[in-house]
Amino acid sequence: MADYEPAIIAFVCNWCTYTAADLAGTSRLVQPPNVRMIRMMCTGMVDPKYIIKALLEGADAVLVSGCHPGDCHYINGNLKARRRMKLLKEILPKFGFDERRLKMTWIGASEGIDFAETVRQMTAEVKALGQNDLRTRMVL
Amino acid sequence: METKTGSALVIGAGISGIRSALDLAEMNYRVFLIDKSPHIGGILSQLDYQFPTDHCGMCKMLPTIGRDASSQFCLRKGLFHENIEVLPGTEMTALEGEPGNFRVTLDSAPSFIDAQKCIGCGRCSAVCPVEVPDQFNGGLTKRKAVYLPVPHNIPNRFMIDIAACTRCAECEKVCPTGAIDLRTEARRAFRILVVDDELVVRDSLKEWLVVEGFSVDMAASGAEAIDLFSSNDYGLVLLDVKMPGMDGVEALQIIREIKPDLPVLMMTAYATVETAVQAMKIGADDYLMKPFDIEALVAKVVQQYERTVTVKGRVIEVGAVIMAAGSDFCDPARTPGAFGYNLPNVVTGLQFERLLSGAGPGAGKLIRPSDGRPLRKIAFLQCIGSRDLKQKADYCSSVCCMFSIKEALLAKAKSGGEADAAIFYMDMRTFGKDFQRYRDLAEKESGVRFIRSRVHTIDPDADGSLRLHYVDGEGGQHEEVFDMVVLAAGQRPNRGTRDLAQSAGIELNPAGFCLTDELFQNRSSREGVFAGGSFAGLRDISESVIQAGSASLGASKLIRSKGGAPRASERTGAALQDVSKELPSLAVALCACASSLRGGLDLESFGKSLTLWDPSIRVFQIERVCTLSGRKSLLENMRESGCNMISIGACMPCLYGKMLVELAKETGLSAGLMDVVDIYTPAFRGDRTDPRQISGRIESALKMSIGRLKSADPGPTRSLSIIRKALVIGGGISGMTAALAIADHGFHVDMIEKDVDPGGLVRSLYRTIEGTETSGLIEKLISDVRANTNISVHTEAEVVDSKPYEGLSFLTTIKTKDGGEKRLDHGVTILATGGKEATTREYCYGMSESVITLHELEAHLGKSAGAAEPPGSVAMIQCVGSREEGRNYCSRVCCSSALKNALRLKKENPKADLFIFYRDIMTYGFLEAYYTKARQEGIIFIRYSPEAKPDVSIADGGKVRISARDPILGRDIVLEPDLLVLSTGVVPNDLNGLGQVFGFEVNEDGFFREAEYKWQPVNSKKRGIFACGLAHSPRSISEAIAMAQAAAQRALVMLNREEIEAGAVVARVRRSLCSLCERCIAACPYGARSRSEEKDIIEIDELACQGCGACAAVCPNSASVVRGFSDRQVMAMVDAALELT
Repeated sequence: MADYEPAIIAFVCNWCTYTAADLAGTSRLVQPPNVRMIRMMCTGMVDPKYIIKALLEGADAVLVSGCHPGDCHYINGNLKARRRMKLLKEILPKFGFDERRLKMTWIGASEGIDFAETVRQMTAEVKALGQNDLRTRMVL
Repeated sequence: METKTGSALVIGAGISGIRSALDLAEMNYRVFLIDKSPHIGGILSQLDYQFPTDHCGMCKMLPTIGRDASSQFCLRKGLFHENIEVLPGTEMTALEGEPGNFRVTLDSAPSFIDAQKCIGCGRCSAVCPVEVPDQFNGGLTKRKAVYLPVPHNIPNRFMIDIAACTRCAECEKVCPTGAIDLRTEARRAFRILVVDDELVVRDSLKEWLVVEGFSVDMAASGAEAIDLFSSNDYGLVLLDVKMPGMDGVEALQIIREIKPDLPVLMMTAYATVETAVQAMKIGADDYLMKPFDIEALVAKVVQQYERTVTVKGRVIEVGAVIMAAGSDFCDPARTPGAFGYNLPNVVTGLQFERLLSGAGPGAGKLIRPSDGRPLRKIAFLQCIGSRDLKQKADYCSSVCCMFSIKEALLAKAKSGGEADAAIFYMDMRTFGKDFQRYRDLAEKESGVRFIRSRVHTIDPDADGSLRLHYVDGEGGQHEEVFDMVVLAAGQRPNRGTRDLAQSAGIELNPAGFCLTDELFQNRSSREGVFAGGSFAGLRDISESVIQAGSASLGASKLIRSKGGAPRASERTGAALQDVSKELPSLAVALCACASSLRGGLDLESFGKSLTLWDPSIRVFQIERVCTLSGRKSLLENMRESGCNMISIGACMPCLYGKMLVELAKETGLSAGLMDVVDIYTPAFRGDRTDPRQISGRIESALKMSIGRLKSADPGPTRSLSIIRKALVIGGGISGMTAALAIADHGFHVDMIEKDVDPGGLVRSLYRTIEGTETSGLIEKLISDVRANTNISVHTEAEVVDSKPYEGLSFLTTIKTKDGGEKRLDHGVTILATGGKEATTREYCYGMSESVITLHELEAHLGKSAGAAEPPGSVAMIQCVGSREEGRNYCSRVCCSSALKNALRLKKENPKADLFIFYRDIMTYGFLEAYYTKARQEGIIFIRYSPEAKPDVSIADGGKVRISARDPILGRDIVLEPDLLVLSTGVVPNDLNGLGQVFGFEVNEDGFFREAEYKWQPVNSKKRGIFACGLAHSPRSISEAIAMAQAAAQRALVMLNREEIEAGAVVARVRRSLCSLCERCIAACPYGARSRSEEKDIIEIDELACQGCGACAAVCPNSASVVRGFSDRQVMAMVDAALELT
């Protein structure tokens, strides 16, 4: 199991991290292949249920990444997300998930390298955690 | 020739240019936005972090009203607006005609890479053998001769730096789309005639030029040259001045007779340089000095060559021109003294900014370029090339103090607080709103050291460190070793400003910036040509944005007055077909580009697997969707398939914003039902990647898009309207300027003034520092306001209450002078409530007639004008009650007012002794010259610190006595002046009441709190409310006028349209699920939600709603839904994303 490619769902904000991801792409930075990006307008619109849904469906980890504090295009959506993610991390174990499967970061528009590095690092961490076993189990 | 009514040209696509262009585009004028560089963003494309958030917020400049007309992605990527034609790599070469009816000639730089064909794959750059310093990283890194100008720009097309290119043509060979054409043929066809009597000169010239790819003929004398000349066609002549027989000047005369336009460069030794200059008068284009600097010589020849290949003469017609060509930084390498810039690890502020950048040389890590060691001690040196008479820079660059504090804080943050940062400065100019607190926090909380000093020597120390020797404010000598020295290089006019001014027919000021009107700084010396941003002088981002708004207001007013109408707004919403009742019918278009890029990618099989997944999907392949023919073929395929939603697999989705809008018009399908997926970037994964993974990634991306589209809400966007009238609160200079600006656009304005007459605070200022009497300005504004039939003035009136009205407008009740009440309906509100001089009890004020405030002195000087005997000695104390807790901000105007008054007192009585006690002299920008002048006139400046303020006492008979310490003398002094003048600073008139009535925020100092300090300086967070003048922050008359115009401009964007289209991505409420818990109301950052008591529902102001989705995330019942991001859509994307992993 050690050498599996983890599936990571990344909810990224349209303004900062999405730009960074684009920059990582155009700079041809090699990234692990199993990251699926979902562009949201703001991390503040990421409902915890999306994250739980992704984990229940077998995602090995979820990344939520937006603008740095103070940069939010919508004034303070990223701060709302931070609060929400902190609470979510506390209840994730109750759903049977290691809270390390959820990560929140700030990645600004010009930080393409940071984005690639974050994803790379997260992949390594999740590899160490092992596969989300819901992927192989049938959940009713 | 193209003709358009209601159009403008904006020169320079930096922050100000973008702001002006967006301003006018939002008003539905047609805008041409040109920039000589190959990308937009100007200097800001290199700065990742901006004060005061120390991050970025450029995107906040994008329209908030009618935002779907423009791109909605990071402005660093690029800009798209349906009314703006962005023309990078373009310069204006001629401006003819009259205001309102200009004819502009635009030249584009030659491009060796076809932007239509370049797909940005980077193979050319990989094979290019040439490496040159990368200017984007301040020269700290290298780049190839074929390169990306800005890494994050989109579309990101490669460029060729033809000066560095060796024309080896390796790139031409590897380009998969054949986009590169170095035009070596054209170079070979460019024939150069070298005329010199010395063989060695001729030979070496020929050798150099042939290497550059040109054809070269040689002549040994003038006569031989004329001979050759008659039978050959040359592109350029290099002509020696001193030759036996016919000399260069004679030959030139003959050449000019035969070919008047042929470029001729004279070659001369130092001894005959006079002759060469003479030759230029009779028609030579330039001269080259012997011995030749090969690089300079080749550059000049290439420049001549490029003129022949420049795409010339696109002529456009515009009503007005905005010059926003920006400014540059001084180059310490070219300044005498150099401040150690020749040493390793001495960098400029801009280079340091690149070192901090995630896209910079150190990938955002704080390391020293010379040895890769972590930076732990950094010195920032201020005023490099500013406030420097030797360099003819008798001005303050206005931005460097905050720039350096920001960089110091970033260095602290990046190093986890471990780096030591010290700022060596003369005066810390924290004159802007909230600057002082930022500085104080940097010092007290982050530990940035502020050292008032002059650094006189920088010596290299062991291992590349630097030893600074400096003298402190008291004359003490010190030295300290640092890892790196950062020079705050001052601002300079942009290179090329002189040529640009010449083509535009405008004058420059002595410092080389645009010469503007003293009070109306958006006006250049030519009517119809407006100055925006730092082109008009030294400005930071916030002031540049304000200046840009003021320039666009001027342009719009002029265009309008000359009959240029805004383009009729097309309601795309109305023309769209309503597909909400239809079944989803989905098509997928795949751009064939990606497969040509990577052989292993089989689009056929994608199509098959998609149709297997969902048989109702139709899939077709398009050859290069982004081209015109590609779009045509897409359109045909869409019509044929009869689909009502489409997912397009191509490259960067943001490239397609404009195309989707056009497709929407052509197909009648809402752009919300189209989606673009990047299938192209994944195809680039390094060759090691398993092709199956790549296909998996692309397929998954397509399925996610399909999932999202299938659950899309296909309804049309709503069209909204507001009452097209304005309310201006306050009748001072700002209020009247704003009212006139709006009224001149044909809208009705109610202006409320609490006093008997309009005029405001400026009535207590009699002259500007330049010496202009303010009474003329006030009288002119008052008579204009009274004469304008669109303005109703309500004097001695005040606002009682304001309520939402007809959905999106206001109904405001005012108390009139007869004690009655009046109701005014309006769609926008401008606050121009002004401010006043602060009161004080410090320094024995009120205990003697000899202690007066600055305004009292102004009144005295204004009225007495030479009548009473001028005082023999006057002391002034600055920062009374300001810049310390309680009122911890700089009032910005007191230093220049004190200088103005001191200079006047000195003029009236040259023998008068004048003393100014100060903390930091805040003569930012060109005001610095008055500080220099004051010192030259013998006015004595004595610095004090807030810990040791001057001690003032009143002796018997009311005589003032001041005891203080003079740091320069290093001893205590006692003064007994005839008059003591206290600069008490500016406080705003009380805004709290209005804040509650209108729902805007007031900051801790009582000023209006803007939506965003830099990017939206005049907006409130609440829609439809704007502020200007002293209600916003202390400012001078000309700055208040500019701000009033900028506020009016923002208001006009809303007033100028009959109907405003709400955004496609806005929140809705599903009433059946809503439990009226009101959590969404609290979550909305724009106050766009309210509970309607009568209908008992949550209502949404769709103009204010920006679609951030905060409401949807907090709603416990999923009753709040953001269009395009509904739960079903996001869940469908999650499903699709995980299906293939």
